[in-house]
Amino acid sequence: MENTLSNTAARPQTGAGSFGWLWQAITGVGLVILAGLHVTAHHYVVEGGLRDFQQVQAYLRHPVILPLEVLFLITVTAHALLGVRAILFDLGLSDNAEKRITQALTVIGALTVGYGLWLTWTIVTYPAAP
Amino acid sequence: MAVLRDSKLKRILQWGDVRRRKPGMWAYALNRVTGLGLVVYLYLHLVVLSWLAQGPEAWEAFVALAKTPPFLALDVVLLAGLLIHGLNGLRVTLNGFGIGVRAQKPLFIALMVIAAVASIVGGAAIFFQ
Repeated sequence: MENTLSNTAARPQTGAGSFGWLWQAITGVGLVILAGLHVTAHHYVVEGGLRDFQQVQAYLRHPVILPLEVLFLITVTAHALLGVRAILFDLGLSDNAEKRITQALTVIGALTVGYGLWLTWTIVTYPAAP
Repeated sequence: MAVLRDSKLKRILQWGDVRRRKPGMWAYALNRVTGLGLVVYLYLHLVVLSWLAQGPEAWEAFVALAKTPPFLALDVVLLAGLLIHGLNGLRVTLNGFGIGVRAQKPLFIALMVIAAVASIVGGAAIFFQ
């Protein structure tokens, strides 16, 4: 056992901690693909490193890319807030405090995804220059 | 209450303090520090993208700013954070399912070397493309 990492975050076996850990892992693996696509498409395959407005609009209007970007938004928000939740839970809070934190982070997550969807819709439907 | 607060503060300081710790604590702290940094970046990114909603002129002004060296340097830091957190997170996930548990120390070191090399190569691409 000398060769192992004893302090690495372990997978909780039961309860809310296990549920959060599993979703954290699933969204994390999904993000490797979705974040890779997002970063590559927006920064590495574009001349100059960033898309101009028309290029962003054309990219988001693509019927395959749009659902992938929406999925990325939902996945990255869930992963980020589950991570914040795990760190807060590690402080050794009461059950009631943990419940309130979960509720608050769920509201923050819903607002974040709502804002992202509004932003995406606004960009996609922005009128073309005359 | 003060004791409770001290206790919670101590818990945070403990995982943040990696002095004289084994690689496991470095892996744990790195995952958390990069994770918190990426959460901050996510919300900054969403705020910045609101310029897209203001139309082409506002966006092109931001793009010009984003191509200056200080912003490109921050992009390299972001790339390094993504690579460290992503690769270390994959290792934690595999270990959580009982895969590669005995090899986690060399795996962690190997993945961090990959993250460092990819950050240098990616950083060069960011600055010189």
